[in-house]
Amino acid sequence: MTIAELVAEATAGPVGLSADECLKCNVCTTVCPVARVTDLFPGPKYVGPQAQRVRLGTLLAPGSGQLSVVPSPDRTVDWCSGCGVCTTACPADVKIAEMNNRARAVLRAGHRPRLRDWLLGQTDLTGRLGVLSAPLANWSLHNRPFRSLVDRVLQIDRRAPLPRFSRRTFRSRLGRHRRTAWSADAPPPERAVVYFHGCAANYYEPHVGQAAIDVLERNGLEVIVPPQVCCGLPLISNGLYGQARARARTNLGVLAGYARAGYRIVGTSTSCSHTLKAEYREMLDLVDDDARVVAEATWDICELLLDLHEQGRLDTSFGRLERTLPYHPPCQLRSHGIGLPALDLFALVPGLTAMDMDHDCCGIAGTYGLKSEKYDIAMAVGAPLFERIRSTGAKTAACDSETCRWQIAAATDAELLHPVEVLAEAYAAGDRERAAGSQAGSRP
Amino acid sequence: MAWADVAVVGAGLAGMTAAVSLAEAGARVQVLATGHAATHWSAGGIDAGAVAGTATSREAVERLAGQAGHPYALVAAELAGGLAWLRTTLAVEGLTLVGDLDDPLRPIPTSIGSTRRAAIVPEGAAGALPVWGPDETLFVCGPAGFKDYWPEAIAAGLGRAGAWRGEPGPGRIEALSVELPGLRARRNLSGLDLARQFDQPAWRSDAFDAIAAAVAERQRRLGHSSSPGRIALPAVLGLADHPAVLAEARARLPAIPFEVALVPPSVPGLRLFGALRAALRRQGGRLIVGEAAHGTIGADGRLAEIRSPAAARELVLSAEAFILATGGIAGGGIWADGPGSLVEKVLGLPVEGPADRAWLADDPFDPAGHPLEPAGIRTDAQLRPVAPGAGPGGSPLADNVRIAGSLLAGQRYLRERCGDGVALASGRRAAAGSWPQ
Repeated sequence: MTIAELVAEATAGPVGLSADECLKCNVCTTVCPVARVTDLFPGPKYVGPQAQRVRLGTLLAPGSGQLSVVPSPDRTVDWCSGCGVCTTACPADVKIAEMNNRARAVLRAGHRPRLRDWLLGQTDLTGRLGVLSAPLANWSLHNRPFRSLVDRVLQIDRRAPLPRFSRRTFRSRLGRHRRTAWSADAPPPERAVVYFHGCAANYYEPHVGQAAIDVLERNGLEVIVPPQVCCGLPLISNGLYGQARARARTNLGVLAGYARAGYRIVGTSTSCSHTLKAEYREMLDLVDDDARVVAEATWDICELLLDLHEQGRLDTSFGRLERTLPYHPPCQLRSHGIGLPALDLFALVPGLTAMDMDHDCCGIAGTYGLKSEKYDIAMAVGAPLFERIRSTGAKTAACDSETCRWQIAAATDAELLHPVEVLAEAYAAGDRERAAGSQAGSRP
Repeated sequence: MAWADVAVVGAGLAGMTAAVSLAEAGARVQVLATGHAATHWSAGGIDAGAVAGTATSREAVERLAGQAGHPYALVAAELAGGLAWLRTTLAVEGLTLVGDLDDPLRPIPTSIGSTRRAAIVPEGAAGALPVWGPDETLFVCGPAGFKDYWPEAIAAGLGRAGAWRGEPGPGRIEALSVELPGLRARRNLSGLDLARQFDQPAWRSDAFDAIAAAVAERQRRLGHSSSPGRIALPAVLGLADHPAVLAEARARLPAIPFEVALVPPSVPGLRLFGALRAALRRQGGRLIVGEAAHGTIGADGRLAEIRSPAAARELVLSAEAFILATGGIAGGGIWADGPGSLVEKVLGLPVEGPADRAWLADDPFDPAGHPLEPAGIRTDAQLRPVAPGAGPGGSPLADNVRIAGSLLAGQRYLRERCGDGVALASGRRAAAGSWPQ
């Protein structure tokens, strides 16, 4: 793709043209977590709709009818973490975060990507290699001299929270009986869902994938796990739109058939599910029917479970979990525009007191906080959240997004769970209570 | 599908007043808002009304309530109670509103060097209210290089004849730009950045030292040390920790400090919104920001649900009652479309407003006002929408929908300075009608 085409993409269309609705009221600046902690980022308004006017103005070379290629006027856009809080706060519906992301892609276009940024985007590759060599990879990625070297060579901060590779992928643990492709004997859409596990559950946290399967099956839903690749978000965040589009096409090719047949696609990573729902359209301009049906069929797992509950279909035989559970709704979840479904589900568990930590962003924003030049910013963004979690004294906390979990766990020493793991635990507790009750009842 | 007892659309003063009141009454409340707006642009006080020839807000409210078709004709009775309720709600977060409906409207300085008439202001601005003595000096004092507050320009504006609206102004006006620690090297700072600086105890201690020294030096030079005067500072005295910052300013500075509201984002407005949001959370109410709602009134004259686009699949929110507090033309609740009609954005309710040829008035600054200003939704006394031009006895277009704030027809809130009072009173009325209190 030429730079001219990228510029045209970045400036035209519903995202780019929404700059015209900007009132310059600065509400976005008041909510920006990055501008709150550093002067390096002047705030979403300046690099977004304000700079966009220059980008729009340079779309056509005067009098020529030809695209003129003018570099993005403001390189500070690279300090945007992409958390998306600005877009939700804008009273005029300007797609600020999306505009900034696209502007960053233009900045990067035509240059060979930094090795670091390229690498952070290759989650399937690093995941596969990491799992193959898990003991060595985990040792080295948590070895200080090695991390210092990585920091110096790649500019991935030596202190940044990197997850541990699982020794086996989630997919390889799936039983032989697990359906990974549609077949005529598959249950109808009311009794089955398609699971988009993403990279985190596959390479790092297979237990999250297992908890999702347990909870979904307990509610009478067979879980189909079709082949899939990275959703593409790490590529989008690092400005590598071409590669992201290829990933998206692969996933859409697999998922669109299920979506058309009426199956729901459920994700445990709230950022992957948001990518399927919105970023294919808003960042990658995938607006064909495949992209539309997949977007409309995609659910965050808590959103789906709450929907089951609202239809009276959720098994609520949760046992007691006597604990206080700090909960951080990730910035990406807010962009779903569905409220905080995990909190409603936690309220169904007896004894569980979930506390919304009420903080905009933990700082990590996917791969942002891993980068050497951004690590301190990310930690400062999340600092009030870490302090709030520490002050509860709780040993475990919950969050829907994996990179946030890793960031918070590293910063607080709490154990971080996906909400669906908490629900799986509550089901298990309920089973134990009933088993104990029936034993007690059967005694003479 | 999500559900609530009452769904509120809009998170400005009217929407948040209604939502918090409902949550306090035990209703399950869901607020949907396109974004943040009115509060973030506000000076943080309550402008209940200020029209020519009235000395107090109460007189202005009574005058406006006497005009057929003005929202106050329906809801003025809620204002005093609403104000008392708001004071109680803000007090939990340490915020105080100074002044009352019966206090004289006083000219208070603005950051462009004019004055505006106000009586109920946030505590930080209270120092601007007392009548000026002829021996008092006003020190207009701001951080050097701060682009939203230029002391020399403000002092020059306030020194012009008529600036104080016929009332006594200060005997002398002095402008001071003070170098505050560590700011020179920093980027273009906003008021919000400065407020966050003032939240840092160590930094603000040094900053108050610098301001105090500059004012004291000027006092010495003027030989006015016997009459302390007052200091007009930009409204940046802390965000999260404002009460402590204000107390420290009063204790440390050699004259009475007061805050002057700035261009958006307005820090006193952010404090007001923060306190209302905290109150909503305490009461278990919910808020989704970033979603624009729309819906259709059923054939039975009731609204069953509203929808918002969400990321991919519409969020459907059903409720027993709905309150629209989406603002007027400036707030985005009413949209002027290409062919020349005014459209209410959530339900497509018929808007009372001028024909399109009147939109382009000859003189946009006509003292009589712009014809579009009073455009809005006409309602009955319960604030349910009725047809344009219908009186309060008109039959409601929907039984379970109520309108609050500047979406209500018949007000000219910029001119009449009644926007906050109408928002508060109508928010309370709409809440009371939507759920048993």
